[in-house]
Amino acid sequence: MRKALAVFFLAILGYYMLAVLLNFPFGIDHLNPELAGAYLRDTVSKTGAANVVTSIVVNYRGFDTLGEVTVLFLAATGMGALLYKGKTMGRSRQNASVIVKAGSRLLFPLIIILGAYVFIHGHLTPGGGFQGGAIIASGFLLMFISYRNYHVNHRILSNVESTAGSIFVIIGLLGLLYGATFLENIMPLGIPNKLFSAGVIPLIYIAVGFKVGAELTALLDTMLKTVK
Amino acid sequence: MIYYIAALLLILIGLYGVLVKKNLIKIVLSLSLIDAGVHILLIAIGYINGKTAPIFSTPDLRPEQMVDPVPQALVLTAIVIGLAVTALALTIVIRLYDHHKTLDISKIRELKW
Amino acid sequence: MIFDPVLMIALPLLAAFLIPILNRFSKEIPKYVPVLILGLNLYESIMLLPYSMVKPVIVVIAGWAPPLGINLTIGPLGNVLALIISLVGFVVAIYNIKFVVEEPAEKYYMLFLLLITGATGVVLTGDLFNMFVFLEITSISAYALTAFIRDRNGAEAAFKYILIGGISSTMILLGIAIIYTYTGTLNLADIAQKIQYIDPKIALAAMILLIVGFGVESEIFPLNGWAPDAYSQAPTPVGAVFGGIVVKAGVYGLARMLYTIFNFEGVFYFLMIMGLITLLMAEMSAMRQSQIKRMLAFSSIGQMGLVLIALGLATERGVEGALFQMLNHALIKPLLFLSAGYLVYYSGSKNIEDLDGMGKRKPFLSFFFAFGAFAIMGLPPLNGFWSKMIIISETIRNGFVVIAALALVGSVIEAVYYLRVVGRLYFKKHHDDQQEKYVHGSAIFAMSILVLLAIVIGLYPDLIMQYLKPAAEELVNKTMYIQSVFAIN
Repeated sequence: MRKALAVFFLAILGYYMLAVLLNFPFGIDHLNPELAGAYLRDTVSKTGAANVVTSIVVNYRGFDTLGEVTVLFLAATGMGALLYKGKTMGRSRQNASVIVKAGSRLLFPLIIILGAYVFIHGHLTPGGGFQGGAIIASGFLLMFISYRNYHVNHRILSNVESTAGSIFVIIGLLGLLYGATFLENIMPLGIPNKLFSAGVIPLIYIAVGFKVGAELTALLDTMLKTVK
Repeated sequence: MIYYIAALLLILIGLYGVLVKKNLIKIVLSLSLIDAGVHILLIAIGYINGKTAPIFSTPDLRPEQMVDPVPQALVLTAIVIGLAVTALALTIVIRLYDHHKTLDISKIRELKW
Repeated sequence: MIFDPVLMIALPLLAAFLIPILNRFSKEIPKYVPVLILGLNLYESIMLLPYSMVKPVIVVIAGWAPPLGINLTIGPLGNVLALIISLVGFVVAIYNIKFVVEEPAEKYYMLFLLLITGATGVVLTGDLFNMFVFLEITSISAYALTAFIRDRNGAEAAFKYILIGGISSTMILLGIAIIYTYTGTLNLADIAQKIQYIDPKIALAAMILLIVGFGVESEIFPLNGWAPDAYSQAPTPVGAVFGGIVVKAGVYGLARMLYTIFNFEGVFYFLMIMGLITLLMAEMSAMRQSQIKRMLAFSSIGQMGLVLIALGLATERGVEGALFQMLNHALIKPLLFLSAGYLVYYSGSKNIEDLDGMGKRKPFLSFFFAFGAFAIMGLPPLNGFWSKMIIISETIRNGFVVIAALALVGSVIEAVYYLRVVGRLYFKKHHDDQQEKYVHGSAIFAMSILVLLAIVIGLYPDLIMQYLKPAAEELVNKTMYIQSVFAIN
């Protein structure tokens, strides 16, 4: 009975949504010249980044990214608060096999380097702080799964997290002091497509990369450590 | 058009899971599916036929040859927010399991209307 | 001395990021950080009032003028709401100083500060996606704080909340997707300008999605099933903040969507009917509660129903009444929650029947609770009377006599169950198993501020109305909003 009601309701919803979307054929050229067109045209000259999405995320709509970083921080904090246990617990009951252990030992530094590459080059190639941080966290996850007793120092992770987040806000405040508005670009733009270009964008993304990497690692470790 | 239908199907399947399923983990997974569907829908809306990614990787790429970059930026933020909600939901499921020793939502109904 | 309003959001974020580091130096520091930061926010929002009343203060962020960049639009409405949020946050933060928190304590203060910052961001921003992000900050802090006391009921309440909240945030995202597809912009003023060129059926779809999304935080029926559980299972100051701040941010979002962006005729009638249904269902459910915090939660939902009825009138005086009611509720509901929290702590149980006779043993607390009950029932000359009178008279003036009558019935039911509790406090003999414990000075100080404000507003309502009038005008008059944002270009 409940299933039938749910399916009926969803059918109506789906039909309605499809009707709305059919009005907008897939792939037509609908760029708003004031907004999206302006982003595409002026990014390289005004922000110096080659990756338009990065310059939107960090420069034009950097305030949203600050909110997003806060959301991730909240998730890690909330998880730390809810899963707080006075005593330490283990992560799993057995180690992985020899092949996994040896392979993960080999891959771990490579994954970290890949993650660092992704977030340092966020303004030149697809990627950025969040993506790079997630890759780094997946490297740590590999080590967590392979080795039962692989320790990460939560103190250091928490310090990295707080410091990186504060750096983001402080860069914004510096924009307020030396420029005119919060998060304004105060560094030189440089030559496009070179590593040291695009003003504050690589700095912010490096801070975000560290923060997300540390946060997700702490999150994974807290969640995995719930086995007695 | 197939992308719109696929994204809508994901959203509807996810909604079905949240409304009907009883296993706590399946419910959280369905919530995550709804998020995935909405993200794919947003990106599909931004696509323009015949154009390429909005990155000036080669010097001869002109702005007129690129897709809409704004939905991609929005989805970047939305993915992280969806991740945070999923992580918190799973944490709450762990706590519920700790207290009630069951993952069946119909057995966890102590707070009444 | 005024500083850049962006600091009302940036400084709390910086402080929240730094709390874990500060905690290493001393465990006492995190308790005072929210008090300091929210005090600064309060100061700033008061200093901004003379400016925003004349013309909305537009704060550009990242150096890009709207619609290219994000901007904060601090009009009279935003400023008044930010003032209320900072004030209530400041007072509850003072209460928090001596409130006993479970381990890990510094995370509680971080989550608390970010909850209030998120709500401040929602009312100050001028960009649709930014509003979504700040609403998510508020919601996620709320999810974590609901389950903060790690007992069975807290986890269940938090799960209900996160489920409904998670779906609502996807609905908002879908609505934003539809709006962006057809208008190509995300700035609120820009959307308000361009919405008239869209096919009304599509705008209707986006509006329904946004109503469902914001409606969960505004606790409209039937989207408020999570509220009684969340309010009662969260720690007491958090429940106070839910009722005083979070729901206001939700109602603001809803009002901003319906007035400034969409302007369908029928939706206001719909809002009024839903407000009435919410009011009646909440008051009737509150009658049957045996736990005091759940009763207060239902009462909160009922008050918001009254606000929705007033917003549904779509006249300027109606919106004034709605804002006044929101202000009064934001002052009184935390007072009720905070005093009830201590009453529960001393009687050792959450049930109303165990509060018998507390009037004699704990005169201060019982006075605060009784005062709050009288204020919310609308007894003259306390503040609740004026706001209710404005709303009811405006409803009758616009011809909706039946709705006004039913709303009055709801008020009568409210009076009945509050007087029941007050009667038990003062006129019954106390049970012998109540313990003697000390009420902390900071808590009494916090609650006294709220009582004082309620009395002052009750005696001089015109003082407040002169600020609420421009705020109501801003909401109703959308061309003024659009012009002030684009005037800086």
